[in-house]
Amino acid sequence: MTAVADVAAPHATRLTLGAKAALITALVGALCLALEPVVPWLGAWPKTWVLPMTDWVGAALAWLLGWIKPVARLFSDIMVYPMGWANTALNATPWPMVIGLVTALGWYLGGLSMAALGFFGLGLVLASGYWHEGMNTLALVAVSVPVALVVGGGIGILANEVPRVKGAVQAVLDIMQTVPTFAYLTPLLLLFGFGPVVGLIASAIYAAPPMARNVMLGLERVEAEIKEAAIMSGGSRLQQLFQVEIPSASRQIMVGFNQCLMAALSMVIIAAVIGGFNDIGWEVLLTMRKAQFGPSLLAGMVIVIFAVVIDRMSAVLATERKRYDLRVVWAVLAFAVVFTVLFWSSLPGASEVAMLDGVANSLDRGLTRFTQSNGMALEALKNNTLYYVLLPLRIGLDQAVLPFTWGFMWTPAMSALVFGLGGALGLLLAWRGNVTGGFVVLIAFGMIETGVTNLPWPFVLTGAAALGYVAGGRRLAILVVVLLCTILLSGLWDRALLSLYLCGASVFACAVVGGAIGVASAIWAPVWRIVRPICDMLQTIPLFVFLIPVLMLFQIGEFSAFLAICAYAIVPMIRYTRHGLVDTPEEMMEAAISSGATDWQILRDVRAPYAAPTILLGLNQTILYAFSMLVIAALIGTTGLGQSIYLALGQADVGLGISAGAAMAILALIADRLVQGFAEERRKALGL
Amino acid sequence: MSTSDTPAIACQSLWQVFGPSADKALTEALARSGGNADAAADDLRARGYIPAVQDASFEVREGELFVIMGLSGSGKSTLIRCISQLLPGTGGEIRIDGENVIGASKQKLTELRRRKLGMVFQHFGLFPHMTVAENVAYPLKVQGVGRKERRARAQEVISLVGLDGREDSFPRQLSGGQRQRVGIARSLAVNPDIWFLDEPFSALDPLIRRQLQDEFLRIQATLRKSIVFITHDIAEALKLADRIAIMRDGKIVQIGTPTEIVLQPVDDYVREFSKDVAKGRHARVASVMQAGDGERGPDDPGLTTNMTLDAALARCMELYQPVPVRDAGGAIVGTVNPSALAAALQVDEA
Repeated sequence: MTAVADVAAPHATRLTLGAKAALITALVGALCLALEPVVPWLGAWPKTWVLPMTDWVGAALAWLLGWIKPVARLFSDIMVYPMGWANTALNATPWPMVIGLVTALGWYLGGLSMAALGFFGLGLVLASGYWHEGMNTLALVAVSVPVALVVGGGIGILANEVPRVKGAVQAVLDIMQTVPTFAYLTPLLLLFGFGPVVGLIASAIYAAPPMARNVMLGLERVEAEIKEAAIMSGGSRLQQLFQVEIPSASRQIMVGFNQCLMAALSMVIIAAVIGGFNDIGWEVLLTMRKAQFGPSLLAGMVIVIFAVVIDRMSAVLATERKRYDLRVVWAVLAFAVVFTVLFWSSLPGASEVAMLDGVANSLDRGLTRFTQSNGMALEALKNNTLYYVLLPLRIGLDQAVLPFTWGFMWTPAMSALVFGLGGALGLLLAWRGNVTGGFVVLIAFGMIETGVTNLPWPFVLTGAAALGYVAGGRRLAILVVVLLCTILLSGLWDRALLSLYLCGASVFACAVVGGAIGVASAIWAPVWRIVRPICDMLQTIPLFVFLIPVLMLFQIGEFSAFLAICAYAIVPMIRYTRHGLVDTPEEMMEAAISSGATDWQILRDVRAPYAAPTILLGLNQTILYAFSMLVIAALIGTTGLGQSIYLALGQADVGLGISAGAAMAILALIADRLVQGFAEERRKALGL
Repeated sequence: MSTSDTPAIACQSLWQVFGPSADKALTEALARSGGNADAAADDLRARGYIPAVQDASFEVREGELFVIMGLSGSGKSTLIRCISQLLPGTGGEIRIDGENVIGASKQKLTELRRRKLGMVFQHFGLFPHMTVAENVAYPLKVQGVGRKERRARAQEVISLVGLDGREDSFPRQLSGGQRQRVGIARSLAVNPDIWFLDEPFSALDPLIRRQLQDEFLRIQATLRKSIVFITHDIAEALKLADRIAIMRDGKIVQIGTPTEIVLQPVDDYVREFSKDVAKGRHARVASVMQAGDGERGPDDPGLTTNMTLDAALARCMELYQPVPVRDAGGAIVGTVNPSALAAALQVDEA
């Protein structure tokens, strides 16, 4: 360690900014490790230095919520009515009518394929026997979405009209997007009491930001000349806004509508964890707890169907202007009415159809048989990953390597060997001109040896500050340090590191695997043809559903959580990698080809550098996705902040819930700003 | 109504400065420089402000086609947005029919736009969700004109620009040239006295551009609007303008008729523009003629004062006999009639 520093010192005068930052980080890390036995507070933040911030937050919020509570309760009492109406309407309408309506709507929006999607989708819901549960969920969505649309749209327009509040609105939306979904629920629970209204409000709150964002974006992107033409036509501000700007932005606003619907559905299902409403999310949770995976999968399928139908149909609104023949709509509706009337007496109740019960049961049996016969293999996969990858990453090689798992005991000599190896590799890189890379390798080796959760806090702070400085200058560095210090002081540091570790492991896996799939998809069109629908599907499925299959195969635990996070967070990495590579301007490719470059050379020298900023943005999305899934994964047993948020929900502990949620948001925010900073830098370097 | 000697538009020391509290910065800069515009502009730039239009003064007479020409970034688009009050204007005066519009109330500006002003945009600025007829009728709609009446008026202007039959198309279904016809029709819907055109033909193909220029001249010949026309194309400026203002770095460097710009450029910047211009097409015999009954030879090709130089040259050439043409070795291979040479070089006047 010191040897490396000595070698590097003579070069210090001509080190790049990145190399200097890495050098300082490495030095601080080494210093902490060396001094830790003597000065223990350099390693772990002492308990006595922790401020009771969660209590303060709890007290402040309790006071604040006490004030709002009467209004909230009133609102909740009012919302009960439209919810009741939606519920009754959806449940009392005979199922052939509902299916007919959705099919007709599908036809009108997207022709035959959408009509078929609606018909077979809802047909499957009926066959699953979860019709009424499904309708309950839809009723919640049907009431929360209009609320979200009005609130989100209003905020978007307001931000557009009053430029002074725009920055503030943007910041609040950013925060709302990073605060984990569960964290919303705790204060809402206190405000509105148990019951379906909480789910409703939570989903409206969660679904409003995408609407607001897209309205803002859409209005902002209306061509300047169109706005000017409206002014020069002599329109008043209201005429300009409602007759010209909003209609011109309609596509973007429809994208917002689509995202709003999906967010509402997703949140309605997550909100089922607080119970009190017999909806489909609750059904999944219930069957999962009872380890009835067949029915659980079936209920999960219903959610996926809703998601796919709602998503595809509303996505058409944003892309296609064409609307299909209304006569067919009337014909379908008329047929549904006639069908209902004709078979009125013999129409089976929606819950009695349940044609798939047999399928579910045999699925259950088959699954049990599968897990029994392949139990060894599954267990081996799980344990190998846990013992050889996840655990060392979490607590470091020095503690993870035990005779019981690795077959031998870790000795200080081995630690020295690891450091030596890291130092040698680092030196090699530095010698070949990549000084920054050398330091980074050294730091990485040190981290594996120490373990993420055992990292000394001064090292984490220095490292984060260094990254911040390189990515975005002094302001970002200060922001990062201040934010991290609040976590440190709040006493949530250990849990934050745990979250960071699991998230980091998943993001790393996603980056490697997703990046590879993305590259393959960019090179071979057939791969993309297979990967694309899978990606579409994974992105449509509400977070909750990811838990079912991993739970089935690997039971509760960190490995299942890891898999669930990866399955969800890998999609943006694949998409952005491919998009960045495919998007290389044709002229650049032609220039490379005519220079005589091979395919591989073009990929390495032309397409990859050009795609780098896009790929970084993909990584950024992957990180944010991982954080949002991390909280959901707390349901199947993770430690860290996610667990705290989930526990707080159970105990209605607002202080802990909000603090842990805020800590999670801080981590996500920091990761976001850092990666965005690097992406921005790359973009500037390429002159994009 | 204004009398005929009031200019349609009069700008007096007009400034448009971008930056935080630009008004104050401009006042201070002018005070420091003792009213010297160039020094004030440099002062502003040094302080991080952008003086996009500096000290612009000019008049547009009633029925005049006034072209503002300059390279991109010279401030011409900013200037037209100042006059049309899409930008507020930082200092100076803009009089439209004698009334200062800088600092006018919102209602007053809206009223002015509804009655007197029309504007055409470089990228058309058409409303994508409205049909051609709805686009054209929109300025009438915002004033509360009834559906029937506005459709009738829209039909009139749509015919004027030659788009009959496309009333119910959407902008996305039209070609670039057709789109700009819609833009022109819309700007004429309220029959404005003053017509702003911001690089209306720059986004079009050369052929379509010429076609639209000709039609624009035809429309102007019947309507006689007071026009401010922006372009970066010297040929377009020379072809259309009654008078041209040339802008550079926010300043108007020369105002003059096309002939004056071509033959008496005030500096190298303006000269550079007119360099590529076939002077023969724009300058008239009068501009090179020596007045009086001076010394001259026996020939008289029949020149008149308002003949272009090209035409005059061709006439003179006709007096020559055919001359020999040799190959690389010096042997005569044919003959050329000088008048044929001149005719071949001459471009058809559009």
